[in-house]
Amino acid sequence: MIKDCMKRNVYSVSANDSIRQAAALIVEQHIGLLPVVNEQGMPIGVIRLSDLLSLEMPDFFDLMPDLDFVHDFGAVETTRPSPEDLNRPVTKLMQPILTVDENCGLLRAYALMMKHNLYDLPVVSEQGAFVGIASLVDIAATILATWKTVGPSFP
Amino acid sequence: MTAQIISSIIFIVCLWLIFSEKLNRTIVGFMGAFLMVGLGKLLDIYDETQAIESMDFNTLGLLLGMMILVALLEPTGFFQFLAVWSGRLSRGRPVVLLVLLGTVTTVVSMFLDNVTTVVLIAPVTILICEILGVNPTPYLMAEALLSDTGGVSTLVGDPPNVLIGSAAGFTFNDFLIHSLPIVIVAWFSALLLLCYLFRRELAVRPPNADVVLKLNPRESLDDPKTARKVLIVLVGAIVLLFLEEQLSISPAFVAMGAAAVALVWVRPDIQDTLRRIEWGVLVFFGALFVMVGGLEASGVLGNLVTLLNNLHAIPPVVFGLILLWFSAALSAFVDNVPITIALIPVLLGLEAQGMNVQPLWWALVFGAGFGGNGTIIGSTANIVVASISERTRTPITSKLWNKRGLPVMLATCTVASVLYLLMYPLLSN
Repeated sequence: MIKDCMKRNVYSVSANDSIRQAAALIVEQHIGLLPVVNEQGMPIGVIRLSDLLSLEMPDFFDLMPDLDFVHDFGAVETTRPSPEDLNRPVTKLMQPILTVDENCGLLRAYALMMKHNLYDLPVVSEQGAFVGIASLVDIAATILATWKTVGPSFP
Repeated sequence: MTAQIISSIIFIVCLWLIFSEKLNRTIVGFMGAFLMVGLGKLLDIYDETQAIESMDFNTLGLLLGMMILVALLEPTGFFQFLAVWSGRLSRGRPVVLLVLLGTVTTVVSMFLDNVTTVVLIAPVTILICEILGVNPTPYLMAEALLSDTGGVSTLVGDPPNVLIGSAAGFTFNDFLIHSLPIVIVAWFSALLLLCYLFRRELAVRPPNADVVLKLNPRESLDDPKTARKVLIVLVGAIVLLFLEEQLSISPAFVAMGAAAVALVWVRPDIQDTLRRIEWGVLVFFGALFVMVGGLEASGVLGNLVTLLNNLHAIPPVVFGLILLWFSAALSAFVDNVPITIALIPVLLGLEAQGMNVQPLWWALVFGAGFGGNGTIIGSTANIVVASISERTRTPITSKLWNKRGLPVMLATCTVASVLYLLMYPLLSN
């Protein structure tokens, strides 16, 4: 079950926090995702690294099918988001959150992450409160660890 | 009389729906064509056979053939290659970049669909501008305005030209003799005007201009083999278009033949190629032909021509200029295809009455072609560029277009008018 491999020492932001604060927390804790929670601790959305970095991504990123021939990003490398952008509340960048129950099976969790292209999966208690995060590596490694119970040859 | 009134109402309501964009134009055309044939059958004046005869195969075949060639060229990365190559060649100098991107877009869209050209070149333009750290707006607007202007010069450059060429019997060479010289002057005026209007943006020399030299055009060309094959076929088709009269072949035959040869040579995933064809445009053209055929069968056009015949008092030169500016003003606000399709039978009617309509056809070519530059919705290329820019941090607004595009329209139409007067004897032949 996912509760056996998730990290319980987790961080979140509230809806009133700014994008700047969310980015600072991510840098400080070196994490890839921040659930946005309401006053009751229930997750209402999520901020991922990619949502924050979209503020800095060049416009051509979404318009071009491939970028292999661009060997230097030039002026784009040093462009930074504007102060107004950073002072906006996190709800401006927040995306809908996908959570699983702490009793969710590992293979189901892994399959959901593959289908939704996720690297971290927030886990909620039966009451719906945010209790942990499992990363793709946490889940995959736990599944792979079970392989050692498979015998060396056919019985 | 009933037939005339009802068919006029059907046509006017359809035009209104198309112009007001209340309903997709292809859907409107489909319904309008159905109503027109239904009415014709009810009153026994127009039927399925006549409807099919009224669909101009020359136009539809030429468009379809060229669309297939573009559909084969599109996934090869050829258009991207041209834009990257222009960027590199410019060494990051803004005016040179604008001239190169504008020229490349124009030359390509003289022979291929300019909407596809702009759709594929605009993203690379944004890329080049962003890595240089300059605003892409002048370059994007120049691409739309210059390719629209340049497209007027050839038979295959712009859908109204295909329509007019087919109706008036103009060959590829007729366009090169009558239209190209005027378009070249108009195009250079447009380019100079754009450089002046955007002088402030173009004066900023990007500090890291060398960054464009690190772009690799070769890497941006995904499928050079296919690109080469399609380009060879395209060049062959253009040569045949030159020889259209000597070989007595129609442009539609050349285009469809080229498409057939290219398909056999490239052997693409045919479903993918067919998906890239703009069927909506073809159906819309076909439906408009059926509707105009209905108007003709009911006698509306005959009456309109008799009415216009009173205009004989106006000197033909002035009549031409009025037509040029009238069609330009209309094209600035609505798609120039329905305008052209509606005006063609009128000119044919005037010809039947004994008027020399040759110069009028050219007036319509210039008016319908240059008029589209005036507003952000004036041509499909403008709409496409604006909608791509809306996905960036520097969207092109309608207000900005009025400040930069409208002067270009007025300048090109003025240049065309002056040259029209000077070249009137040639245009009358």
